[in-house]
Amino acid sequence: MTDEICFENVEKIYGDRVLLSVEAFSMSAGECTLITGDNGAGKTSLLKIVSGLLKPQKATVTIDGNPLSWLKARPRLQSLVVYLHQSPYMFDTNVYDNVAYGLRAAKLPDAQIDEMVWESLHWGKLDHLTHRNARVLSGGEKQRVALTRARITKPRFLALDEPTTSMDRKSRHQTYELIQQLRQENMSIVISTHDIEPFLDIVSHHHFLEAGHLHPIDVPMRSTDNTSRAVVTTFHRHGS
Amino acid sequence: MHDVFVATKDALGLLLSGNPGIWEIIGISFGVSLQAILYVTPFSLVVAFLLAYGDFKGQRFLISLMHTLLAVPAVVVGLTLYILLSRNGPLGDLKLLFTQTAMIIGQMLLAIPIVIAMAHSALKNSDKIVWETAKTLGASHTRAMLTVMFEARFGLFAAVIAAFGRIIAEVGCSMMVGGNILHHTRNIPTAIALETRKGEFAQGIALGLVLLILALGLNMILSSARHRFETA
Repeated sequence: MTDEICFENVEKIYGDRVLLSVEAFSMSAGECTLITGDNGAGKTSLLKIVSGLLKPQKATVTIDGNPLSWLKARPRLQSLVVYLHQSPYMFDTNVYDNVAYGLRAAKLPDAQIDEMVWESLHWGKLDHLTHRNARVLSGGEKQRVALTRARITKPRFLALDEPTTSMDRKSRHQTYELIQQLRQENMSIVISTHDIEPFLDIVSHHHFLEAGHLHPIDVPMRSTDNTSRAVVTTFHRHGS
Repeated sequence: MHDVFVATKDALGLLLSGNPGIWEIIGISFGVSLQAILYVTPFSLVVAFLLAYGDFKGQRFLISLMHTLLAVPAVVVGLTLYILLSRNGPLGDLKLLFTQTAMIIGQMLLAIPIVIAMAHSALKNSDKIVWETAKTLGASHTRAMLTVMFEARFGLFAAVIAAFGRIIAEVGCSMMVGGNILHHTRNIPTAIALETRKGEFAQGIALGLVLLILALGLNMILSSARHRFETA
């Protein structure tokens, strides 16, 4: 069972631009890490790298204390981390088959797949959408399908890329609820977001990504004042 | 103008009366071209996928080569194959010249660059997010590739249909390596060329109509599939 994945000296360059230059970043079992930063700061690239979907120009990856080359680390990362896109892609089939995708890829027996899919559909409150084509769902419903589809594969880590962007209030609330449920199931999660407040109850670490550099900052306690402002203030104090 | 009407009427008569000569030629045409397209499709789709999603040396050169091969005339492919298969050629011992096998090989050579180039464009335009989603959910490379292909199936279907339309209507290669032998290698385009030279316009028009109906049918299937996809 993998407990910790550490990344050191991660560098991602597009053309002449250094998009990411992260000295150190780690993900530990049972923790929830929040990554905030402006648009274009490199949050998506960082999450894709930690999920093994994007190759960095440079990176030292250590999984449970074993340093690995990118070539060896990549398939390990892909098997340990499930990455959820900001706008999740729905395969052109119904919700049931979308949720079952990872289990079929793992070649589980049909009866077991069926049982797990129905349990997961119920978990994601998707029972009534089971036979609907996933492409025609609303943004919030798609995100719920994506979270359910990821959860069913029982990943060690979950990387969520701005999971509530462009959603109405109700959908946002439903997505937060599912993420909180995942935390209650002790799922390790890395979330990139602009919206810190809803995650304050579950977050263990918080990093601010600025111009490709990752700055760890204090995790503020939930309070009645403007918490987002408190976080930014904390970051600037560290940065200065 | 009157002659054209008469010839067309005669052509329809030939087709509808089930003229065995005409239907044998149609059968040979479809048999050869369907086999050719069936053999090249899996290979070409995989190559197109590798060109669209891979990252290897020579990738750009191969893409340019496929687009260049699109422009090679059928008769040049036929000539090359003729030289290779003729008695004194390097593959002469196979005794394939003037056989349906030679026609199939020729049509395969014509279809490969069409399927690869068009499928490559379709796959290149499909979103990389499909591949990433499949991979992150634990799919193997093969499964992820099949998923990407399924999601881009209408573009790929169009590529295969375009290639089939091209090879079933080509005359140069079939004439060179098939030899237009009655009951053996005479297909629709070579028969049209022969009948026209003989002044037998009715038979030529009848066979031409088959090609036109085929083209119409294939395009209707494609557009209906697209419509169903877009309104799903």
